[in-house]
Amino acid sequence: MTLPGGTPPVLQLQGVSKYFPGVIANEDVTLDVRPGEILGLLGENGAGKSTLMNIVTGIYQADAGEIILDGYGAEFASPQDAIRAGIGMVHQHFKLVPAFTVAENIHLGWSETPKWTSKAVLEARTRALSERFGFPVDPSARVESLSAGEQQRVEILRVLSREARLLILDEPTAVLTPQETRELFAALRAFRATGNAVIIISHKLDEVMDITDRVTVLRAGRNVGTWNTADCSPEMLAATMVGREISRQNLRVRSGDAVGVSDVPVMTLRGVGVRNERNVPTLSDVTLDIFGGEILGIAGVAGNGQRELTEVLTGLIAPSSGVILLDGASAPDNAAAFAAAGVGHIPQDRLNSALAPSLGITDNMALREYGQPPIGGGALYHGGAARSLAEEIATTADVRIPDFAMPVRNLSGGNQQRLVARREIRIADRVLVAAYPSRGLDIGAIAAMHGYFAALRDKGVAVVIVSEDLGELLSLSDRLGVLCGGRLMAVLDAAEADIERVGLLMAGRGGAS
Amino acid sequence: MSRFQRFPTASPRRILACRAAALFVAIAIVGLVLAACGRNVGELGRLVLISTIGSRFGLEDLALFMSPLLLTGSAVTVTRRMGLWNIGGEGQFYLGAVGAAGIGLFVHGPAILILPLMALAAMLCGMAWIALPALARAFAGVNEIITTLLLNFVASLLVYWLATGPWRDRVTGALASSGRLPVSIPDMWGVVHWGFPLGLLIVVGLAAVMSSTRWGYEVRISGASAGVARYAGMPVKLRIISAMLLSGALAALAGMFEVAGTVHRLQGGMADNFGYLGIVVAVLARGSCLAVIPAALLMALILDVGIVLQTQQVAATAVLAITGLVLLLVAIADECAHYRPVTPAIVRPARSAS
Repeated sequence: MTLPGGTPPVLQLQGVSKYFPGVIANEDVTLDVRPGEILGLLGENGAGKSTLMNIVTGIYQADAGEIILDGYGAEFASPQDAIRAGIGMVHQHFKLVPAFTVAENIHLGWSETPKWTSKAVLEARTRALSERFGFPVDPSARVESLSAGEQQRVEILRVLSREARLLILDEPTAVLTPQETRELFAALRAFRATGNAVIIISHKLDEVMDITDRVTVLRAGRNVGTWNTADCSPEMLAATMVGREISRQNLRVRSGDAVGVSDVPVMTLRGVGVRNERNVPTLSDVTLDIFGGEILGIAGVAGNGQRELTEVLTGLIAPSSGVILLDGASAPDNAAAFAAAGVGHIPQDRLNSALAPSLGITDNMALREYGQPPIGGGALYHGGAARSLAEEIATTADVRIPDFAMPVRNLSGGNQQRLVARREIRIADRVLVAAYPSRGLDIGAIAAMHGYFAALRDKGVAVVIVSEDLGELLSLSDRLGVLCGGRLMAVLDAAEADIERVGLLMAGRGGAS
Repeated sequence: MSRFQRFPTASPRRILACRAAALFVAIAIVGLVLAACGRNVGELGRLVLISTIGSRFGLEDLALFMSPLLLTGSAVTVTRRMGLWNIGGEGQFYLGAVGAAGIGLFVHGPAILILPLMALAAMLCGMAWIALPALARAFAGVNEIITTLLLNFVASLLVYWLATGPWRDRVTGALASSGRLPVSIPDMWGVVHWGFPLGLLIVVGLAAVMSSTRWGYEVRISGASAGVARYAGMPVKLRIISAMLLSGALAALAGMFEVAGTVHRLQGGMADNFGYLGIVVAVLARGSCLAVIPAALLMALILDVGIVLQTQQVAATAVLAITGLVLLLVAIADECAHYRPVTPAIVRPARSAS
């Protein structure tokens, strides 16, 4: 839409700075968001995107600089102030009450919720809102029963119902299927068309190219620049974010002194099946050989047996049928024994299943090695040795840690992932199973992670990578397995696999090879 | 420009300083309330000081109060490490007293043999008392707060029945207690028995077990996150059971000390809330084993002050009010300790800092 000249930006930041002890989170950030545009905010993990958005939404207060709203100076003492001013944010981790219905979540903590009301009224109001903003939701459904994409719609609808004119989305597509992503983008374009503005934080450059009008890149807390998306290319944006050129290595090429692919499989699955607590099969009849010195990719739409496969491969659950062999012998029956046998595991939800969020870095880094010297040995646990191990892991992971007793949840998601990855790589003598290893990481960290995997493969370790990103899988894997409905549809030679074929297999067609 | 900002961690020194301030505030509030009631606060204060830390008699009393609190406080702390609450310290205390009294009354021999036997029996009884809640928690996910709490009332009634029924004192004909035990823990200083230094030793030993054994590490991890314990293949159920059994044994040992060191007989109501006050001690200690020592000292002081106030015709419930006030102010102090003034320091940003 065309705007009359002199329309002020919806939001303008001038010289905004925010300091934490020992760290500059943001310094002298100046940017503006105009009515009727979608602004992409890019930057590596820790570049200051989240802090900046927390300042805009009133969670933090800036140490210096000005926030200008519609041409007038504004100061947000609390998130409520920002919401009242028409700024709404959808966080990466949804802030919904799982046990409440959609209608209850929409009306929770809202001044316009009628004081005396009934379920039917709330649901009718929700239905009206849903039609008005074009976000279809089922008002009576419980949030815990919704998919990630549906929950996100509820979250966005809640923000929009507070009359938001500026919508901020933090990595909105990280949990969405391609179909849900398309729907979200269509809704965002409709929102933009009515003169509203959107700030979208994303790591996925092709999506940024697709949806945004302009792009602002942050690096080390500072604004590096703002460009019209039409003038950008993904390569140029990646280089700007990182501050150096990222060459897309062909990771399938082995280094000169690499150990080749082993002749006998390190791990073998024969007719492995898993049933869930309701006795529904979630993994059926999987037969698979995994060889040392190869990277095996597992593709598939999320929820098609990936979790069960990774848990079977790492001993977290015992298969309800079939056998697993580790180095030709029958595999042990618990996760600790798998780890002791050299099976590392980078799980999907690292903060809750690979780390104890409230404990310190040291305790968390000792998780895989506390049973053996120098930390363990007999019944003892040597805190000093655990500390040295934690320091060593932090150094190799390139994570700077101010205090090793600090709860690990205070680290950023990217740093948590690096620490978990290095901890698991240390023990992975035979197999490393990594689920969605690059989710939530920036380009530099993803490249580093892929480098780790390639190095591990060159040492003769079998690496199993579960991912939704076909590009990632095809550039890393030697072979590519495709899961659909709990079945292993096929295992392809990745060098010859074409995306069309893989796509068909992911949809459950053209199996058996 | 400087302002206060909340930090995720607070150093022990800051917490200590804030808590000291909280205690001063608590003392001031108690003083003001007493003054408003028309009491002579100066005179009361002098009396309290003399009869707690100002005299040998007062110090002996403090140590006597502290001995069971050290153990019941540790009992709750052990389960806190596992992410659980043992509210049943009172019941396990009673069962420890029953076990100890049973051996003391009916097995005869030299004290050097009988006393360890009493301790062993007490701990076994305490463990048996918490075994059901522990198994229910580990295998069926039954909330241990409810089960341990309810068993307290059963234990209390069991002791009343024993002390007034089958085990009642047939020598003096007293109706409210068992006969006097022939053996007792020797006194070391006035009326203070060797259970006091032993209690301190047990707390220190427990701290070492928690921080420097594999078991302690596994309990710490399992207590912080069940998901991670499963991921690492730790035997979570066994850790729940063992931590709860240890907790029950500690609380029961407090009962044995009380029977064999202070009361010398089994009588109804003898747990005297030591089991429940153990929860307060554990909360004050913030899950740290060593901090149980100062926390127990503080709790013993409050109990002692309560007795002094009672002799001055202040209601006995004043102890509860003071305990509540101290807990509230300490909780506020702990939160305040997380706030520090910050001035924007110009430091190079580190990419990897969170």
